[in-house]
Parts: sequence; structure tokens; C-alpha cells
Amino acid sequence: MTKVPGKGLVEGLGVTLKALTRRSVTQQYPDVEPELPPRSRGVIALLEENCTVCMLCARECPDWCIYIDSHKETLPAPEGGRARVRNVLDRFAIDFSLCMYCGICIEVCPFDALFWTPEFAYAEGDIGDLTHERDRLREWMWTVPEPPALDPGAEPAKEVTAAQKAQQPPPVQQARQAPARPARPSRSAGVAADRPEVDPPAGDSS
Amino acid sequence: MNIPPLAAGSAEPAPAHPLPFLPLPTAGAQGVGALTRAVPAPIKFVLNWGRRYSLWVFNFGLACCAIEFIATSMSRHDFIRLGVIPFAPGPRQADLMVVSGTVTDKMAPAVRRLYEQMPEPKYVISFGACSNCGGPYWDSYCVTKGVDQIVPVDVYVPGCPPRPEALLHGILTLQQKIARESLGDRYAAAGPRPIRSVPAAALQRPLLRADPVGEEPDDG
Amino acid sequence: MEKTAVGSLSQLTVGVGAGDMATADMVLNIGPQHPATHGVLRIALTLDGERIVRAQPIIGYMHRGAEKLFEARDYRQILVLANRHDWLSAFSNELGVAMAVERMLGLEVPARAIWARTLLAELNRVLNHLMFLGAYPLEMGAITPIFYAFTEREVLQAVMEEISGGRVHYMFNRIGGLKEDLPAGWLDRVDDAIAAVRRRLPDFDRLIRGNEIFQARTRGVGVLAAETVLAYGASGPVARASGVDFDLRRDEPYLAYAELDVPVVTRSDGDCYARFEVLLDQVAASLGLAGTCAQRLRDLPPGPINVRLPKIVKAPEGETYTWTENPLGINGYYLVSRGERTPWRLKLRTASFSNIQVLGELLPGCLVPDMVAILGSMFFVVGDIDK
Repeated sequence: MTKVPGKGLVEGLGVTLKALTRRSVTQQYPDVEPELPPRSRGVIALLEENCTVCMLCARECPDWCIYIDSHKETLPAPEGGRARVRNVLDRFAIDFSLCMYCGICIEVCPFDALFWTPEFAYAEGDIGDLTHERDRLREWMWTVPEPPALDPGAEPAKEVTAAQKAQQPPPVQQARQAPARPARPSRSAGVAADRPEVDPPAGDSS
Repeated sequence: MNIPPLAAGSAEPAPAHPLPFLPLPTAGAQGVGALTRAVPAPIKFVLNWGRRYSLWVFNFGLACCAIEFIATSMSRHDFIRLGVIPFAPGPRQADLMVVSGTVTDKMAPAVRRLYEQMPEPKYVISFGACSNCGGPYWDSYCVTKGVDQIVPVDVYVPGCPPRPEALLHGILTLQQKIARESLGDRYAAAGPRPIRSVPAAALQRPLLRADPVGEEPDDG
Repeated sequence: MEKTAVGSLSQLTVGVGAGDMATADMVLNIGPQHPATHGVLRIALTLDGERIVRAQPIIGYMHRGAEKLFEARDYRQILVLANRHDWLSAFSNELGVAMAVERMLGLEVPARAIWARTLLAELNRVLNHLMFLGAYPLEMGAITPIFYAFTEREVLQAVMEEISGGRVHYMFNRIGGLKEDLPAGWLDRVDDAIAAVRRRLPDFDRLIRGNEIFQARTRGVGVLAAETVLAYGASGPVARASGVDFDLRRDEPYLAYAELDVPVVTRSDGDCYARFEVLLDQVAASLGLAGTCAQRLRDLPPGPINVRLPKIVKAPEGETYTWTENPLGINGYYLVSRGERTPWRLKLRTASFSNIQVLGELLPGCLVPDMVAILGSMFFVVGDIDK
């Protein structure tokens, strides 16, 4: 096949020689933090103000790695009203040694209390430390990036459509379509600011 | 022709019930420990410094995480920058074992066996959810729920699979740990490092059994 | 082969002046942890001198019981688990499950989702093949290619991570479409990545394809006949290298492949070199398909990328079999549902499991060093064998 013996070898060496002149692709990780896409699944952050202890995440988790403890608290009745009972979050912990980073908990959370953040640097010497309690999960919230803008061909996020509809005078059907809470969360298209539907349930947490 | 089954693994899964702690064979390590305690601090520092930046790594690549381990060793992430050298010809020349992937009950004896072949002082990084504690296969009937049941683990890297930078961070964590440690304390104070389950006999049986039991090996 | 090594290890004193001229067979155990098996495959070789008399792959070291676990997961949770058995083709794996459930539900997937899935599946194929293009020469002693392969893999993985959030396990399929829509400008980044990999391909050509040493070790080694391929149900690049011209993407198109002109790369030699060549050429073909898909996605009218489904998806009672052309071969899911939120049974047909059975036919008669070449050229993933 090859006419000149060793031609293939020489060509291969040529490739190596060419690579020698190219810029190195090495990333200097500990010195330079990598730039990660916003959707990157690094660690799960908890916005505990939004959590209503509905336990959906814990039940949907394929690994059962979310631990939630709560107790009920009776709010004193406002004048003329009836005493209300609400759930108070005592413990929210995610065992990241068990977590399989599928994101189902974030998907099912109806109140947008869980978020992905691309942080990855939390290796531990003790496996117990990999169970992040609520304060640590809350700390991760500061690293949650803004979700990326969507492709022009994409349907606008559900929240955006709902917000636009809310600004217009509500047609009759809309009251049925947009219940007090969105059925499924999707943390897309910077809508954190205008989420009129989500706020009422979130408001009653401590 | 008979193909002898590999000792232990194929025949019996590691027992689920907890067994008493198994002493690790740390031959001669106690002696080294006594000496190192007498060593002045600067020398200790230098020794730790040397150990820390020449970690010959033995990759126990088992599953998905092995891909990310390889990615870490490649030019983009390149952990040789951190003094981790992926050219250990075998466990006998390695200081660091990275268990990346699901440890199954069938594989567990081999993991333990290779760990024991490594010379002291040796370190183990458990890379990924599966080797941390079973991960996605936490309810599987044939997966060891964490490699720390069979070998002591120094650093756990979370992820499924963890990204290469996470392994780099795990390595940095390990290096900090090495920098602080004193070999004397490592062996003397802690005594035998705790390990759960796996009977000693299962691990010390020869690889090839002299009397093959059946025509076909038990594939479990 | 008159005197076999039955029962005692004392027969292993071969060639050290055993006295008589009789030779004994030696059982050589490769693996389960061995660099040449890239994974935890174990092969028991019976050797006569350096020639392999019998080879038996012993599998199960990576058996994780995925099929049993499927029965205790709902369909979304199955997607998470399904992408893990063949960790190099995670996207194609979850695709099969999603397609099976969609078929049971009689669900029409939006066009955007179909094209995006096709694009991601092809990118996944390139990722998978790049891994083997790097690892196979490594096993043959050529260290350099894997560095190039992984540089390009990183480029593609960055693109995959941007859309799905995962580098290896994407978990991006959902029943009825994809999890989220594409980020803005992602398609341009895909084009850049495709161009980057394409620029690198000639390097692989020059570095490995034309390399005399590589050719000497692979040409005519481990010739797999087309009949054997059919007898054992081997598929994918391994089968196509033996002249079995079968590719589900063309022969039983799913996703958007019916609208695409899928080039099927085949060779007729059936040796290790042919298998490697199929892989190499398939990368170029897949890049072309991915580029077409990206263009089509741009041209599609705006629309949803998934179907809104109720929170609890229950496949109706019945059964279905979905197969897809995974990077390593045919991957099938046989789904039996009794109308609950978990499948009653989800049988997995994996490519590597069938492909690896051929080793019993292929290895006898070869030399031990050739075993490494043959093993590497079978392109298997141990998790795919053991499930």
C-alpha cells in the first residue's frame, strides 16, 4: 500500500510536529476557574424560603438521597379568621455521595426551591461531610447562574407566557389554565423577577 | 477443559451483614511510624512534601467515571501538573488508587486484593457516586454500596460522574491531607484502619483454585 | 491437546524440563482488572504455547442489575439509569427508553425534539467513536492518538454540557421530547465543534491509518466472517467491518433518519484494521449528519421541544420492542407494561453483549499478543456487556 517504507511513520511524526507548534489546550484549573455553562449540573442549591415541605423532591428522587424533616406550626388566627397550620422546615439535606445528579428533584419542585449550580469543588475526606445540610445548600444559592437565553426557535418559557397573559385582562379561560402555582417548574428564561403565581405559597415561610 | 473461577467473587457475594473490623496488613509500618515520630518537623515537612507531589496513581477504572478519570489525565486537564503520575505499571508501584466506577460484589475481592498489593503509605480516592456509596445502584442486589466497605478511603469526590475539575479538586484535598499528616499517627494512633465487611478468608484465597469445581465457571 | 490440564496446577510446569515431550495446555487468566480489557472483562485463555486454544469471556464483573432496578423506577427515573449501562453512548441509551414509552403511549414527538434528538445522538456517536479511536491505538502501543481524541472529545463534551448539563450522562431525554430547549447560539457552537473535530480527522488518518506498525498488527488479524457475525447477532461497526451491511438508521429509520441520507460505512475484510477503519469513517459520516441536523433545526419553525404530559406517566398495558442503532451496535429495549407507572419488565438488548460472544470464535488460533489487538477492536463497553 505504501510505496516508500516508513512513509506512514514519518507522516505520523509530522502530525506530532504540527501539534508541537500549536497552543496548549491545558486548563490551569486550581489557578484558573473553568467557565461552565449555566445548565451544568454541579451541585444542588436550596432556596429554603421557597420550600413548603411538600416532599415531592424526596419522593421523586431515584436515590432517596434527600432528607427532609419538618413540623407543623399553628399560626395564631388573624382577627375573625381561623388558625392556620403551616409546615416548618427543620432539616433539608442532600446526600451528595449518593446523588446521581439527574435533576429530577429540581424538575418536580413546584415552588422553584431547588436549583442547579455548576460548582463542583466539594470533595471531602469524610463521607459524612458530603451530606449538605440546609445552610450549606442555601450557601450554594449564591452561585446559581442565570439560565441561558433560549434558541430563537424555542417556545417561550411557560412562566413568561403566563406573565404576559397576566398583564393582559384575563380572559375567562385563563383562570382555569394558570392555577395559583405552576404545575411543573422549569427554570428557564430569567423570570425570577416576575413570578406572580409563585409568591403566595412562598410568602408564608419563615 | 476447566476454567477455574476467580476466588471468592464469582461464588459468593460479599456479605451484607457487618463483620468485625479487619486488621489491615501493614507490615513494618509500625516501625516506620515510630521512627517518623522522632523525626524533626522540617524533615517531616520535606517528606510529606515529596509524597504529596509524586502520587503515582493506579486507576481502578470500573465504569463511567473511568472515562472522566481518563479525561482528567489527558491534555486538557492534565493532572500531572499536580504531581499525579498516571504511569504506575501496576498497583505495586502506586501510591494512590482512584476507584472510579461501580464496585460490584463480584469485583470487590479484586479491588481489595489490588489495594493490598500497594505499598504503604497508600491513599485511595473514591471517585463518583457509585464508589462513594453505590450511587444510582443503591438498591441493586449485586453492587457494593461504597468502596469504603472494602478499602479505607481518604477522599470522596462527589458526582455522577464528577467532572474532571472535581477530581483535580479531590486531588488537591488529598494533598492537603498528606501535607498535614504524620505517618506515625497514621499507623500508630489509628491502629488498623477501619474497614467493614468482606471476610479475610475470601480475600486471601489464591486466584486460581487447584480443584476446579465445575465445567463452566459460575458467572453469577 | 491430548493431555489437558484437568484438575491440578502441577500441570502448569510447562517448558521447564518437564521430562517428556508432552505439552500441557495452560490456562491464562486475563483480567478482570487488566489494561488490555479496558474495563473489567475477564477472559480465560487456554494456551498451547503462545497460541490460544480456547477463549472464554467471563462476564459479570460489572453486572449492576439494571434490568431489575428498572422495575422499581418510574419512566423518568429509568432514563437516569438507562444511560449508564453503556456509558459511552448515554444519549442513545436513554433515547431507546423514551421511544419505547412514547410508542406505547402513541405519543407524537414535536419536530424540533426529533431533530434535536437526532443531532444529539450523532454527536454522541462521534464522542463514543473518538474514545475508541484513541483507546485502540493506545492498546497497540501508540500513546499519542488518545491525547488528540480527548482534546476533541472535550470540545464536543462542552457542547453537550451546555445543552444538557452533563458531560457523560446527559439525562436530557424525557418522555415526549427533550428536557429543555436549546440555548441561544448553541447551534453555532455545535457547528464550531463539528468543524474542530473534522479538522482533526486527517490527523488520525495520518497518525494511525497509514501507520505501518499499526497495520502490521491489525491487518489480517482476527478475521471475523460475515456468517459468524450473523450467527452471533453481532452488530454495529464490528458487523459492518465484516461486510454485513446493516444499519438501523437506514434500514429501519427512527427519529429523523428517514429524511436523512445515512451513509453506511462498510468494509469486507473483517479484520481488526477494517473494524478500525469503519469507526474512523463513521466519525466523518456522523459529523456530516450532525451538521445537517443542526441546519434543519435552524430552518424549523418555532415550536415546542416536548409534549406536556401529566405528572405521572403510565404506559398502557402491552408490550413493545424498540431498537436503535447505538454507536456500538443494536441496542434494544423490550418493554412490557401492565399499565402501572413502572414497567413490569424492561429487557435490555445490548450491543456489546452479543459482540463479545464472538471472541470465543475469534481468539482460538491467535497468538496472545494478537488478543490485545482483537479485544480492542471489538469496541465494547463492559457495562454494556454486563448491564
